[in-house]
Amino acid sequence: MNAPEFTVEVFQNPYLASGAREVSAIVTVTAESVGTAQAAAASAAEIIIVDCSGSMSAPAAKLAQARHATSVAVDAIHDGTAFAVVVGANDARPLYPVDGTLAVADARTKDEARHAVSRLQAAGGTAIGQWLRLAREIFLTRPDELRHAILLTDGQNAHETLDELAAAIAACTGVFSCDCRGVGTDWEVAELRKISAALLGTVDIVPDPAGLAADFEALINASMAKEVAGVSLRLWTPQHTVVRFVKQVAPTVEDLTSMRRDVTAQAGDYPTGAWSAGESRDYHVSVAVQPGGVDEEMLAARVSVVQDLAAGAQTLGQGQLIAIWTDDVEMSTRISPEVAHYTGQEKLHQAIQDGLAAKRQGDVSTAERRLGDAVAIAHESGNQEQADRLASVVDVIDPATGTVRLKNKVVDADEMALDTRSTKTLRVRKQQPLPPTGPQEPED
Amino acid sequence: MSAETSQTCPRCEVAVEPADRYCEVCGARLPSPRDHVELDAAVVAGVSDIGKHHQRNEDAMSLAVTRTPTGPASVGVVCDGVSTSIRPDEAAQAAADVALQVLADGMRAGAAALEALTAAARAADSAVRALATDPANAPATTLVAGVMTGTTVAVCWIGDSRAYWLPADDEQPARLLTHDDSLASELAAVGVMSEAEAAESHHAHVVTRWLGADADPLEPHTIAFDSAGQGVLLLCSDGLWNYQPDAEGLRRLATAGESAALADAAAALLAFALDSGGQDNITVVLSTAPPASSDTTGHEGSTP
Repeated sequence: MNAPEFTVEVFQNPYLASGAREVSAIVTVTAESVGTAQAAAASAAEIIIVDCSGSMSAPAAKLAQARHATSVAVDAIHDGTAFAVVVGANDARPLYPVDGTLAVADARTKDEARHAVSRLQAAGGTAIGQWLRLAREIFLTRPDELRHAILLTDGQNAHETLDELAAAIAACTGVFSCDCRGVGTDWEVAELRKISAALLGTVDIVPDPAGLAADFEALINASMAKEVAGVSLRLWTPQHTVVRFVKQVAPTVEDLTSMRRDVTAQAGDYPTGAWSAGESRDYHVSVAVQPGGVDEEMLAARVSVVQDLAAGAQTLGQGQLIAIWTDDVEMSTRISPEVAHYTGQEKLHQAIQDGLAAKRQGDVSTAERRLGDAVAIAHESGNQEQADRLASVVDVIDPATGTVRLKNKVVDADEMALDTRSTKTLRVRKQQPLPPTGPQEPED
Repeated sequence: MSAETSQTCPRCEVAVEPADRYCEVCGARLPSPRDHVELDAAVVAGVSDIGKHHQRNEDAMSLAVTRTPTGPASVGVVCDGVSTSIRPDEAAQAAADVALQVLADGMRAGAAALEALTAAARAADSAVRALATDPANAPATTLVAGVMTGTTVAVCWIGDSRAYWLPADDEQPARLLTHDDSLASELAAVGVMSEAEAAESHHAHVVTRWLGADADPLEPHTIAFDSAGQGVLLLCSDGLWNYQPDAEGLRRLATAGESAALADAAAALLAFALDSGGQDNITVVLSTAPPASSDTTGHEGSTP
């Protein structure tokens, strides 16, 4: 059998000034091939969780569009994939199949599911933790490798405590991944982001219910393309090394630092979920090592891509972060363009989050300063997507200096879209991998 | 030599069996057998050293005493991997190994020295080209190879590794036998700047020709002459000649010690380069004409 093949490329300036301890790099991980026998063996399960609380019936089009979108999503599920539809209000209930198991998709089961969805009614409150727990129970009725859920809601999690939700999220972590969608503008971005971050999914706003069907179909198609499950980044570090952070930085910023699972005293795993063939993501890894002497070299970290299999973890690719101490100031002060780029994109995300938080609290000066910072970074790095979204919330006076004024009237949906999509980064144009230094002239 | 050999980490003093070239406990780079290599076949001897500022030795050498139909010959090869190319250490080692093999085979078969040297350079070029996986970023190396018999000195080179002739007779001048394939040398040759200015310039060490998949078709330079009288053929990488490009200066360094052994002279030249800064990898191979009765078995070697 052919194991999946991943490439790991490391972009860094390995040269450190005497006494320096911080080693940072951008690590590009690409699923080159998903392996033959592997792909055939990976079984998938999909659950669609639909909010049917009372608010979904106002306006009436919302529930109608949710029914339609769910039907379209069911259609997009590949035959042979296990699936279920769960409806949620104060508690959760299996809509299809009604016995709380998973059905195997074929013409008949999809038809039955669509029929059940068409009769969906809305009543009651919102307790998302209950919905997640039911999805977990249903997933666990089968030993599938790839488990994915879509969660749709239109409101805040008003009918259970924050702790109850947090406990439910914790119970589901590592069991399935979940993409969260908020329809309308009465839901809370931070709440759904907690779920999507822990469950390695995305969060986004669908401002107009009419857009739901296309969005659901895209989510199911992306999920159906995933073929390698249970992939983690394993970070080995020398003794006495502090891991400063491990973040995914492309396609979106996701801080994985706190998701570490220790493997040995010197190695830990950071979950990355499932991958499709050809998929490529960038990570920003930073560690603080014990400094060596001038001209000494050490391995500051080894980044491996590992897959959890019944037989144990299998390494699918590997890269190295190197530290070399030097007296040559020109070499030690050089900043890797990849590290510089993503450091900027992370700051862009943070500036948007800070600015929106300040705006919500009525702190206009902080909001304008931080959103201005974001405008300046988006402008400088050429992240036009973020620049456009920022322009829906602020009037840009000078993009180069980041001088902005909050708009008098901001459409709620625009502000929420800026919030949910602040994590999207512009991918860097890569230089040659290591060795990154020196002129490209043949010099010996 | 296997990389899986158990080693003791010089930093944390734990016995480790490294999967790569770093300590599994503290991450320190473990010494490589190539960091310092000495080869001694009496009439030809050499040393190759990582120097003080590089993280690996991208130089390589090989040497042997070989039988020919007309008597024994000493042969030596020095290669300096192009550090801006990928895997320069592998390129240098492959070139040194293959060149020695083909050179020794040619000499044993009775080929003329220059013929054997040119064949060796071509074989080395093919070996380095074969290492390339990406033509845009191919392994590359310089090469200088020399043969000494009782009557002839012959040298073949490409790049900026050098050969010097150091006559035993002080009355005879020591001289540089090679001219560098380097930007500095070319600029000086067309009169853009003086030799000294060129050597100081930022691009002084940019080589203009090399062995490798991204190089022009190989046209090795050659030189041969009758060695009237005794002398030493010095082959070296720029890690040595950067600190003493002058032939007379090198002869003084090679003969300063009390020992007449070539291995000791090579060690003296290395010590000089390290004392002068050891900025680059340093490789030195010294050869003399083997006496007619020379034992020619069991004296082939290469780094490491």
